[in-house]
Amino acid sequence: MEEKRLFNLTSSPHLRSEHTVTSEMLNVIIALLPATVFAVFHFGLHSLLVILMSVVSACLTEFVFDYIAKKPNTLMDGSAIVTGLLLALCLPPSVPLYIPYIGSLFAVLFAKCMFGGLGKNFMNPALAGRAFLLISFGKVMTDYSTDALSGATPLAILNEGRTVNIGDMFLGNVSGHIGVSVCLLLIGGIYLIWKGTIKWLIPVSTLGSFVILMALFGTEGFDVKYLLTELCGGGIVLGAFFMATDPVTSPMAEINQIIYGCFIGFLSMIFRTKSGMADGTSYAIIVANMVVPMLDKYIVPHPFGIGKKGQTLPVPGDDTKKKGLALPTSAVLLAAITLIAGVALAGANALTVDKIAENQLAKKLESYASVIPGAEEFGYDDEVVKAIEGFDGGIYGGGSYGKSYINEAVVGKDASGNPVGYAVSVTNMEGFDGEITLSVGFDTEGTVLGIEFTVINETAGMGMLATEASWKAQFAGVKTDSFILNKGGGSTAANEIDSVSGASVTSGAVVNAVNAAVNFYQTYLAA
Amino acid sequence: MAVYSFKGGVHPKGNKELTAEKALTELIPQGDMVYPLSQHIGKPAAPVVKKNDMVLAGQLIAQADGFISANIHSACSGKVKAIDRRLNASGVPCDCIVIENDGQFTPAPGVGEPVDYSGFTPQEIIAKIKDAGIVGLGGAGFPTNVKMMPKNPEEIRYIIANGAECEPGITCDDRLMREHTDWVVEGLKIVLSIFPNAKGVIAIEDNKPGAIKAMEEAVKGNEKLSVLTLKTKYPQGGERNLVHAVTGMYMESGALPASLGVIVDNVATLAAIYRAVAYNEPIMTKGFTATGDAFNNPGNFTVRLGTSLKEIVEAAGGLKEGAKKIILGGPMMGPAISNLDAPIVKANNALTAYMEDEVEKAELQMNACIRCGRCTRVCPLGLMPQQMAKACERGDIERFVKLSGADCIQCGTCSFICPAKRPLTQLFKQTKPVAMSYIRMQAQKKEA
Repeated sequence: MEEKRLFNLTSSPHLRSEHTVTSEMLNVIIALLPATVFAVFHFGLHSLLVILMSVVSACLTEFVFDYIAKKPNTLMDGSAIVTGLLLALCLPPSVPLYIPYIGSLFAVLFAKCMFGGLGKNFMNPALAGRAFLLISFGKVMTDYSTDALSGATPLAILNEGRTVNIGDMFLGNVSGHIGVSVCLLLIGGIYLIWKGTIKWLIPVSTLGSFVILMALFGTEGFDVKYLLTELCGGGIVLGAFFMATDPVTSPMAEINQIIYGCFIGFLSMIFRTKSGMADGTSYAIIVANMVVPMLDKYIVPHPFGIGKKGQTLPVPGDDTKKKGLALPTSAVLLAAITLIAGVALAGANALTVDKIAENQLAKKLESYASVIPGAEEFGYDDEVVKAIEGFDGGIYGGGSYGKSYINEAVVGKDASGNPVGYAVSVTNMEGFDGEITLSVGFDTEGTVLGIEFTVINETAGMGMLATEASWKAQFAGVKTDSFILNKGGGSTAANEIDSVSGASVTSGAVVNAVNAAVNFYQTYLAA
Repeated sequence: MAVYSFKGGVHPKGNKELTAEKALTELIPQGDMVYPLSQHIGKPAAPVVKKNDMVLAGQLIAQADGFISANIHSACSGKVKAIDRRLNASGVPCDCIVIENDGQFTPAPGVGEPVDYSGFTPQEIIAKIKDAGIVGLGGAGFPTNVKMMPKNPEEIRYIIANGAECEPGITCDDRLMREHTDWVVEGLKIVLSIFPNAKGVIAIEDNKPGAIKAMEEAVKGNEKLSVLTLKTKYPQGGERNLVHAVTGMYMESGALPASLGVIVDNVATLAAIYRAVAYNEPIMTKGFTATGDAFNNPGNFTVRLGTSLKEIVEAAGGLKEGAKKIILGGPMMGPAISNLDAPIVKANNALTAYMEDEVEKAELQMNACIRCGRCTRVCPLGLMPQQMAKACERGDIERFVKLSGADCIQCGTCSFICPAKRPLTQLFKQTKPVAMSYIRMQAQKKEA
């Protein structure tokens, strides 16, 4: 017999996959490479310097921290490189080089190392660095002009009401932060999903919920071009595929990944439509990062089989039973959830739209009743209707009454059907906050009986004082060709109207609207 | 062809090509044969022989003690040399019967003689299985006769012959299905005769086309039998995953397949049932794979139970110089062993030997957990190993139980996939017993 040999005794499993932390980080770097190379060609050499500075600063910070804290050197895991690269991709291409240096230093030192290094940080370090830079160096951080390209980013252009070419945005042929090529970032993201490095549910639910919510609550509604522009603009794609999926700060369970992604989509929508910033994806992700520990702790998915036992026994050899399983169930589930949510929200929106219209109609009828006190019912006069149609939605009176429009005019009749007066609904677009719509009542003699607002959104405590009964009463009982606004107050003549104090714009708009109605009455209604 | 599977799982290197084309060759043991009294789940068997008794091959040497226990037979003829404590493969001392092999293998009367079993009642078949000492040969070692006696035999709809053999490297079931196709099919038919409403499904991973072809031919024309191709993925052969892949049903934790109308038997167990019923042969031999790059000549063997592992190593050409690790079983779940003097018992099916120890290498690469979520994606039971490991590390048993950590089958997929090389499965192995006692304690508290 051979001599006694010693064998290694370890617990199973005795095999290990080829994945390592370094290989995972390397995958991310590979995925970011196309967009990075594109940026260097697109923005010029300076952007390369920014990227290099960011990466070097991140690595240096980690190295020095490890050295001072007497910790093992963790540079080889590659996470510092990823942080530096990601931070550089969301910087403007022409920033001075101290910006990436300080950003990476902050990102690695304060957001990662101080929390215990890789795996312990509670928010994405690159985004923490970016947020820090945005707060500290707001001006340079939002200056996107370079030697090669000048001007505003697509989202800024959109905010100004101009249009941008979606194709250019998709390819990255616009100004913006360094990681500007949506198309190449998308390819990188798909590469990561294929490699299994990132959790695919996160980008899918982030972008999916973002699109749905933008369609419902965005400024343009369900407009494909608008939605595509919003998707291609700003950092939402970079964020969804590379930052939100940062393994350390994203949730474990699939259900939590969906919640997390939808939360980011929701916050991005809010920040884009409601905040002053052109793009708030990075803040959305940071906020969502902070929710992750709670999600992980409180939402624990059922393990295999729990709650699913109530299935009937399928017949052996019957292949039809398996058809549903050919599709990835979670994908189907996700699609179903988003579809249902979308339909529900769209339905709610449609319902409220109807409700709003209904409310406005009721308000209009109410106003007619209040400006022609004796009227029991209202009717249209065919000729008057035709005359209004003849305006074809144009400004009434060719601008003599500002931007005033006649909406409709009705005849008020008493119980026995005799006309007792007329009401004219008129809109003036020049209120302090845009549209003011009001109804003006006339008796059959042409005396103004009163006015009533149906739409008014002026400043509370100022323009809104126009809706006070005492102010409106100035119009009542006056028969005139034209009211005159007295900005100084203390009017003596009947056709002089005192301006609402501090709201001459609102008052002027109302007076113009009433004058338009008077003119309309005299031209079309006076018998 | 529909390929059936489950969600999760991993694809370790199969390495089945090392032995897949090596036919089962009979290994004639030379040395003493050792029979631990506990080769199964349940109470150890009680010896029925004394020191210096002469025994024949196939003779009962220890009897089942209690309901969940199993008979043990000698696989050789010779003299009982000792009944004492010996070390098993893992180095734990246990009671064993040692028989001095006379090299004749003289069979006991009646053993190996064909029996006409066409008129057997279910009770008679179950009695035969019990007498033959058959236990689950896939590794669990649960007494098969107990499995054949569910409360509701007519409600059993499926008998699944588990031919998945998902452990990397092992090919003895593959060889058995190809070389002794009829043993498996006839064994399955015998089991079906116990359950009037059941159909037999032979489930095989798609990396064994030879076995699938052989089985498909053997079941042709029999409407009660079918062959199901499973996707090659580890752990496809795990009971809960297998039942789900075949029937679409989910087994709750702690449930028996019978509660869903399913009985799962390893193909080797079915072959043993056939030998026991048709040839009156207790379980004496089984297919065994010796594989891994540290063997000079890896192969498949028909070994007699009780044979020393050392004889297997010799039959496989011996170990290469510098072999680092020997695993009893496959690399994903088998324990690493050091004691090659230990015997082969019923539940063993392979010996894997490696020149390199991947665990040793992995320990050098160990890193902080980056929460990548790969472990959660591959866990065949849908658990969250990362969260469970965190709970283990801070000794939070309550959280571990809340995460269903007690359901863990220790299949090793999480440790396998982990990029940070965290010892996840290892942590769960340590924590699970504590968790089980915690659960029992909670249950007692509730009762009180």
